[in-house]
Amino acid sequence: MSPTAVYLVTIFGLLIAVFTLSAGLIWYERRLLALFQDRYGPNRVGPFGLLQSVADIVKIFFKEDWVPPFADKPVFVIAPAVIIVATLMSFGVVAFAPGVMVSDLNVGLLFFLAMSSMGAYGVALAGWSSNNKYSLLGGLRAAAQVISYEVFMGLSLMGVVMMAGSFNLVRIVQAQERMWFFLPQLVGMAVFMVAGFAETFRIPFDLPEAENELVAGFHTEYSGMKFAFFFLGEYIGISLVSAMLVILFFGGWLGPVLPPLAWFFIKTFIFISFFILVRGSLPRPRFDQLMAYGWKVMLPLSLANLVVTAGILLWRRS
Amino acid sequence: METVFYISAAIAVLSTLMVVTRRNAVHALLYLIVSLLAVAVILFVLGGPMVAVLEVIVYAGAIMVLFVFVIIVLNIGHEAVRQERQWLRPGNWIGPALLTGVLAAELVYILAGRAAGVASGEQVSPAALGASLFGPYVLGVEMASLLLLAALVGAYHLGRRTTTRQEQGSDGIDKR
Amino acid sequence: MPLIATMPLWPLVAYFGVVVVMVAGILALSWVLGQRRRDRQTGQPYESGMVSTGSARGPLSAEFYLIAMFFVIFDLEAVFLFAYAIAYDRLGWAGYVEMLIFVGVLAAALGYLWKVGALDWGTSRYGKGRLPTSAAGGGDSTRGKS
Repeated sequence: MSPTAVYLVTIFGLLIAVFTLSAGLIWYERRLLALFQDRYGPNRVGPFGLLQSVADIVKIFFKEDWVPPFADKPVFVIAPAVIIVATLMSFGVVAFAPGVMVSDLNVGLLFFLAMSSMGAYGVALAGWSSNNKYSLLGGLRAAAQVISYEVFMGLSLMGVVMMAGSFNLVRIVQAQERMWFFLPQLVGMAVFMVAGFAETFRIPFDLPEAENELVAGFHTEYSGMKFAFFFLGEYIGISLVSAMLVILFFGGWLGPVLPPLAWFFIKTFIFISFFILVRGSLPRPRFDQLMAYGWKVMLPLSLANLVVTAGILLWRRS
Repeated sequence: METVFYISAAIAVLSTLMVVTRRNAVHALLYLIVSLLAVAVILFVLGGPMVAVLEVIVYAGAIMVLFVFVIIVLNIGHEAVRQERQWLRPGNWIGPALLTGVLAAELVYILAGRAAGVASGEQVSPAALGASLFGPYVLGVEMASLLLLAALVGAYHLGRRTTTRQEQGSDGIDKR
Repeated sequence: MPLIATMPLWPLVAYFGVVVVMVAGILALSWVLGQRRRDRQTGQPYESGMVSTGSARGPLSAEFYLIAMFFVIFDLEAVFLFAYAIAYDRLGWAGYVEMLIFVGVLAAALGYLWKVGALDWGTSRYGKGRLPTSAAGGGDSTRGKS
């Protein structure tokens, strides 16, 4: 195959894989949560309820595409698209296996951070454009949470960057051939994982859509496919954060016997399951606790991690 | 590469024009974000991937978020639109626009006189950028940290005053 | 293991194009397929069954502005640290000390903000991040400004 064909296959294969995986995740999460809570979960549509997501998608296509007459219409339509596009763009630099990636940017890690910082617009604008009090509060809360946790999300990864000597995700994986980075960078990994939960609005950080105080937060007025975009965006975000965790701290595609791509998906799947397990076990904090936790615990921790890592690496070199 | 450059340059200019002419502040901001992203693509094509991504992180991802926050929190709705409409009358903008046109003509004249030698495509590696920031330009970096310290303290005290004056609750709605 | 040669940029541009077209296509398709309804309450804001009163456009807490401001400033500082992290081995111990000074100023700012309570959300109500002590839900006596 010519290089052009390889790239085209990668691009379309990636998009199909991401969408199938995210739709499948919705079923997987419901089944797994049901297992934790000793009930059945969706088991009617197809074998083990596997086709539940397909049925949901078909249903959503035929739902009314309602734009509120009181909303700011162009912004209302753009906001969910921003979330989906920004998350999908991050997948453009994810290194699945040697040669299996859309673009091998030498600033790949920073590209991921830049795209995740675009996520704040989606929620803030969705809340503002809906012209609904709950939406506005939910959107502002969501945006405040995203930006608070974004600061140390980047900082927590700098230990990895120093150990690998590059922002390139392929180089970062290759640098882990001797030892996966989660051992020396345990603090960095923990901080990044917490930030990942917060960026994707997963329990315990799902305050923006806390249904008992804000109806449905920033997407109260959304319905049909635009609502599905927010929903799907959350699952694509989970897959993205899990994939980044694997690449940055757990050796990416590295592993014995099995082909690289299989290792990558196995590891990513473990983290996705962990995300769901956490949802099944943790309660939700208060908003002021959430903000204080970010600024007072996580930010100093990630700064300390950076300073200590740089010191140890320099000391070992000299 | 050249085509990408010209397309994103055109997007940057067009969206900046839209920023100036929009009456709704949030719409104008959205165009400004598009403009900044287009400039980031230009920087990328010109061989500064690190600078391009930092432009997205700092300008499009941080400073514009602050703008959006301020506009949402202040909620300047219909009155602002009316005010903008008044400001956009030809009598108000024709003078500055003429002067800017003269400047632009000068710029084109100077650039046209030179040999075309832009877009070398030479990449500046992120490590080189970091080394020069904390090498020869370290004084600037430390000054920046002091400036940011002052900005933090200043922002807190200015923002604090409005909070106590308005007597607001933690969930963001006026309680009294 | 040989390094993979740096790939060209166009796949990323093409990928962006495909993503945008796909998202727009899905939205357009659902708009075409979706049902249309015009009922008595269709055009009302949803507030859990309450009849909506007043406008959703009113002044909000300035604390959101403070958070955004802190974010911008700390994000800028983080960007400088990104530049340090990628070049730390070239800069050696001299660079380390420079970075320590930089982080020190940053930590001083953070410490000051912590001490004056700028990082506590909504302290003007409860004081130093604690819940109101009275079970009655916080009369005016517990709402003393800090």
